[in-house]
This record gives sequence, C-alpha cells and structure tokens, in this order.
Amino acid sequence: MAPAIQAQRLCKRYGDTLALDALDLSVDAGEVYGYLGPNGSGKTTTIRLLLGLHRPSDGRAELFGLDAWRDPVAAHRRVAYVAGEPFLWPALTSAETFAFLARLRGGTDETYRDVLVDRFQLDAAKKVRALSKGNRQKVQLVAAFASRADLLILDEPTSGLDPLMEMAFRETVQEAKQRGQTIFLSSHILSEVEALCDRVGILRSGRLVDEGTLADLRHLGAQTIEVTFAGRAPSLPQLPGVSVASAGANALRCEVTGSVGPLIAALAEHPVVALTSREPSLEEIFLHHYDTSDGRVGD
Amino acid sequence: MSATSALARRALADSRVRNLSYALLFALIAYANVIGYRDTYPTLKDRLGFAHAFGANASVRLFYGEPHELLTVGGYTAWRVGGFVSIFAAMWGVLAAVRAMRAEEDAGRQELVLAGLLSRRDCFVAVLAAIGAGIAALWLALFLGLLGGGLPVAGSAYLALATVAVVPVFVGVGALASQLAPTRRLALELASAVLTLALVLRVIADTASGVGWLRWLTPLGWSEEMRAFSGSRPLVLLLPIALAAVLLAAAGRLSVRRDVGRGLLEARDSAEPHMRLLSSPTALALRDERASFVGWLLATGFFALIIGLISTSVSSAGISNDLQRQLRKLGAVSITKPSGYIGLSFLFFVLAVSLFSCSQVAAARHEESEQRLETLFALAVDRRRWLAGRLGLALAGAIAISLAAGLLAWAGAAIQNADVSLASMLEAGANCLPVALLFLGLAALAFAVKPRASAGLGYGLVAIAFVWQLFGGLLGAPRWLLDLSPFQHVGLVPAQPFKLGAALVMLVLAALACTGAVWLFQRRDLAGA
Repeated sequence: MAPAIQAQRLCKRYGDTLALDALDLSVDAGEVYGYLGPNGSGKTTTIRLLLGLHRPSDGRAELFGLDAWRDPVAAHRRVAYVAGEPFLWPALTSAETFAFLARLRGGTDETYRDVLVDRFQLDAAKKVRALSKGNRQKVQLVAAFASRADLLILDEPTSGLDPLMEMAFRETVQEAKQRGQTIFLSSHILSEVEALCDRVGILRSGRLVDEGTLADLRHLGAQTIEVTFAGRAPSLPQLPGVSVASAGANALRCEVTGSVGPLIAALAEHPVVALTSREPSLEEIFLHHYDTSDGRVGD
Repeated sequence: MSATSALARRALADSRVRNLSYALLFALIAYANVIGYRDTYPTLKDRLGFAHAFGANASVRLFYGEPHELLTVGGYTAWRVGGFVSIFAAMWGVLAAVRAMRAEEDAGRQELVLAGLLSRRDCFVAVLAAIGAGIAALWLALFLGLLGGGLPVAGSAYLALATVAVVPVFVGVGALASQLAPTRRLALELASAVLTLALVLRVIADTASGVGWLRWLTPLGWSEEMRAFSGSRPLVLLLPIALAAVLLAAAGRLSVRRDVGRGLLEARDSAEPHMRLLSSPTALALRDERASFVGWLLATGFFALIIGLISTSVSSAGISNDLQRQLRKLGAVSITKPSGYIGLSFLFFVLAVSLFSCSQVAAARHEESEQRLETLFALAVDRRRWLAGRLGLALAGAIAISLAAGLLAWAGAAIQNADVSLASMLEAGANCLPVALLFLGLAALAFAVKPRASAGLGYGLVAIAFVWQLFGGLLGAPRWLLDLSPFQHVGLVPAQPFKLGAALVMLVLAALACTGAVWLFQRRDLAGA
C-alpha cells in the first residue's frame, strides 16, 4: 500500500528564497508524524506542496500514491486540513461553516461532529466574525476531525487554544489514531509532539535535519548523567563523547553522546554515592539542532 | 458536483447586496428614460428638435455614446441607457470577478476550499456560475425596467442584452487581473485601468470627428454597435462573447497553474529598508496609498487632457430658446463653445473625485477590518488624530486630482487653441471639491457609524446622487427632491459661474460631517472583518 505521504526531493523556491530544499519524507498510514521546526523553517510551505496549493519547483509530493500537484482532488478525497491561520467566512455561523465545509468535502460524520462541538465547547450559533482566534481554530479542528478523513494535515493546530482545549485536542488525536487515521502534525510545541507522535521530523532552513522515532532521536542525542560522590568531586580525564561540568561541590553533570562505557570505567575508581541518568528531552534534541554550527535558525 | 454548487451558492450569497443594488439602479434608469422621453418630447416635432440639438453634440455623447435614432422612444432609450448603463455594468463585472476570485484568496479562505474536493477548475467554474447568475439578474432588471416603461418585449430584451453584453468581457478582465495581482486591491486597480482605457477609447470615438472606427476597439463600443432599436446588429454580440471566452480561458488556465495565495506578478518578499514616511500613522497611510494616488492622478489627468483636446470639435448648431429650456431639464448648458463642453464634461470629474474620496474612506476601513488599528491604538496613538489624518490625506489627494484635471484639460484645450484661460480651468478643477468633500464627510460618517457597510454606503450614495441628477428630472420629480443631489448644485465652470453659495453650504456640511465622524469614531468599538 502506498504511504499516506511521500515526498521525493521536494523543492520550493519563491523568487530568490529557497523555502524547501530537497525534502524526502514518508509517512505510513496510521502513523502520527510530528513535523517540527522554528518559524520560517518551511513547515507551511511543505503543507502547501502536499496539498497541491503551490507547485513544486522540483521533486514531487504524493498523498496515498496520488500526485499532489497533478491530481489534487483525488488526493483530497482522503484528506482533511487545518490551516495555520483560522481564515473562515466571517458572515457564517459555526454551524453554517460546518455545513459548507462538509459540502465541499462531500460529507462528514455528524454524530461525531456533535460530540466534538461539545468537547470543544463551541457555540455553533455564533458568527465566525464574533469568535476569538482560539474559537475559530476550534471550528476548523471540529470540521477536520468530524470528516473522519484518512489523513489529517494539521498546521500548528493548537495555536490559540487554552490548556483545557489543548487536552481536548490530544484526546481527539488519540481517538483518530485508534481508528487508524494518519496525522501529520506540524508544530513547534514540543510537549505536544512528544505526547502524541510516533515519529518526528525536524526541519531547519528548508532541510530535514533529523528524523525518527523519539527513541531514535534520543539515542542520537546526548544523555545527561549526574554523579554524586562521597566527598569532593574528582576531576575526570578527557573522555571521547563526554563533556563534564561541575554541579555543586560533590557532584558532576556529564553530557554523554554515544556509549557510556568509558565514563563508567573512569568513575569506577572513585567513591560514587549516587548516579542518575536522564534521556534528552525533545526540547534538548531540538535545541541541539539549532544551536550548532553557523548559528542560523531558520530563515 | 454538489460541492461545486455549494461554492457557487456561497459566492452568490456573498454578492447579493451588490447584485440587488445594481439591479434596482438599472431598472430605475431604464424605466425613467422611457417614461421621461415620452413625456418630454411627445410629438415628432419635439423629437426632431431634440435630435437636431443633440444628435451631433459631443458633450452629451461623452456619457451616453453616439445616438443612432432619436425620433422613437426606443431609439432614444437605447442611446441613453445602453451607453450609460453599460459603463456601470462593466464596473460591476470587474468588482464581481475580483471579489469572488482574488479577494477570497487574499483573505486566505481559498486554501481551505482547495484543500477539499474541489479542483481549481471546479472553483473557477463555480465562481463564474455565480457571476453568470448575477449577469442574468442585471439583464432581467433592465428588461423589466424597459418593459415597464412601455417598450416592446423583443426590443427591450435585445437592448438589455446589448447593455449587459460588456459584462462578461470585464468579468474576464477582472478574472485575469485576479491571476496577475497578488492582492485584491492591485487586482481592482489593474482591472479598473483597463476599464478606464476602454471608456477613454469610446469617448474619443464618440466625440471626436472622423475616428468612429475606434469604437470597434473597445468593448464598451460594441454595446453601441449592437444598435438596439435602430437596425439591430445581433452578430456584433459575437465580439464580446469571443473576447470574454479568450480572457476567461486565459484566466482559467493561469488559475490552475499558479501558487494559491500568490499572484503571477511577483510581489517582492524582501526589500532594502526605506525609512521615509514611517514617522506617523498618517505618513504610513500615505506610503501605502502612494501607488493608488499616482493611479488616480494619471487616470483623471489623461481623461482631462482628452476632454481638452476634443473641446473644439463641437458642432455649433443653433438651438432655439424653446429647446434651451428643455435642455436645461436634462442639465445641459450652452455647449456649442469649448467652455460649455468642458464645463459639462467636468461633471465627470466631480464624480471621479467623489469616488476617490470614498476610496480613501474605504482604505481607512480596510486598515480596521485587517485589525491593524488594534495594533495602532494599543500604542500611544489618538483615534481622533488618526481619523483626522486619514481625512486630511484624502483632502490633499482630492485637491491634487482636481487641480491636475483642470490643468491638463487646459493644456489639451490650449493645444487646440481653444479660448479658455488657465485660471478658469483651475477654477473648474477646484469646482469639483465641494461635492467631493461633502461625500468624503458622508462616507466618513458612515465609517464612524456603520463600519462594515461603510464602503458600500459611500460609493452607493455617490452613484445614486449622480444618477438622480442625470435622470431624476426625466421622472418629473419636484424641484426640492432633485435638489437633494449635490451634483445638482455644481456650477458648470467655466461655462457658468462658480456657485459660491452652494459650495459654501456643501463645504460647511462636509466639515460638520467630518468632525462628527471623528467624534463618533472615538466612541465606537473597533469592528473586525
């Protein structure tokens, strides 16, 4: 079966700006894929290319094996989209917006929509122009999830949502996942991605710089090991892949990339009282990718 | 299919206010002309006199086009309605296309629509279907107006058809501009420029001698050449159909090939910093409006130059006293001299500068609906000063455009050695201002009281007042009712003296309206889109 999303050498130039640089991406059906990147890194550009809204400068994007640019309508039959900015029809009420979008989509699950309207605490009789940004975002989310589309493409879907609604969103994503729907979640809210996503791709200046399951990414990132000694902390020899910092008089904090063997061997000679190890958080992985080298963060 | 029809119905619902008001206006104009002519010129003798006076008169042709048959009610109506209403119909076409195409994209909604099951082609077709329904409504309004006035069924249907035949062409122009321009505003300006050019061509063809063939180069001329009630030439209808098909096919092709939300005219995404005109909100507004100001200046200036150049090509047919009276009923002056011709033509510039004033209030409203004002007023910016600044800018622009019109009309006339002085032409330019500023004040009041409806109210008031001035007299309306239109109180400078009293009254009203608008604006809630 064709993957839900497949991009090959996907490029997009706007004038002189290279917004997306040879992106290779594959998301299988049933996966929840987190697409991370700072502002301006190319997340929304990717989505526009996936939806066939913009034409690739090079390469191709496919949804369920259908070319996104050449065959958008067939591809969209299985897709629902939540745009980054909730641009809707100001004169329509939420209920009218749902009906209109359902017509454009060719149907929706009305029972589930009512469940979602309750869950997101929407007043469906209110006109869109009278809604706050967060509430307009909720209108978009309800319309998209109620469609029960096989693939949900969400562009920073929780911007503007309060913490309670953020929880409602997570619950809804979990439900979709249990039903086997595929979700492409573009975000820069790391805790959300960490909680929801099976796999994560990290985008930087239009390039995918890292990709994998959270476990994969953690394996590549540095883990933090804190060591407490009986008495003053000794000074350790230079070890490959280990950077050491003082953490109080009796303790050291070591950042270890790769194997921890050499560090353990070095510690064996000293009176170690306690040793804690912590995997890197997604935030640390993320920052690791943006702090290094030329210091450029996006464009 | 049902998705396409849902989108088409959405587009139709979006345009219902515009469609209804244009349809009512068209029906009224059609009805008034039929009734008015029959009442004013009941006998053949009257009509012969009228035809003699007007047949070759360039100034009247400016608005209405070339007459072909003035001895029958139908022929007269075809001349007055066909020539005049087709300009408004063309305007409707531009607005309808840009609103349904570029404005939806500009507002970011098109992405959501295209992420659904509609292809770009479906979207294009849906929008065109909605516009087509609007054209049918306009046709029906004209037809009923003519029929109601007592013209025969077939002739009414044909004249209505000839009049709206220009619409698909300008829908095509608007559609193409919507593909080229990245914003609603630029798309409107591009399409309006084409419409202005088409109008200028028709004016030259209709008023200057020996260049009647030029009429075949402008879609507005084709309407005339269909010759309703004067030896119909239905085959001419093929011209607008063909051109509309070409324009729409081109727009349709482009719409499926380009990036949604962007135009083919690449807007630059980066630029060197220019720090001029950033010192205040008013300065920034001027910075935003610069291109628009230049466009208005060029368009009016060009038109004024043409008016000046053709002011000497007026026939000097003798007009009887009896007819003079009847001419006055139609708002005419002694038009056998260049000064009379220019004086009457300058009514057009009064209209143009009034529309410019409305466009400035609409731009202010745009700043609000885009929620930029919230950012602005969260700073140490006084609301009254902001609106006063915007109105001041509109005032300056109106003065510049008016004087440019006067200056260029003088230049054109001077080239032809016409006997008009620079001073009197600058006076003719300044004569545009009282009415235009009155409408500026009224539009500003609308903005302060009914922000969401303000753009429509402003333009609508100008259009109604202008049409009322042209046609109200034909309906036999009482004097006081006619006098409600500010256009009624414009002295036709340089042919007539400047009406100081009326001008002062209008200026005082304008100042009051502007002051009231500033005061009221400070007290109301900001309103989003």
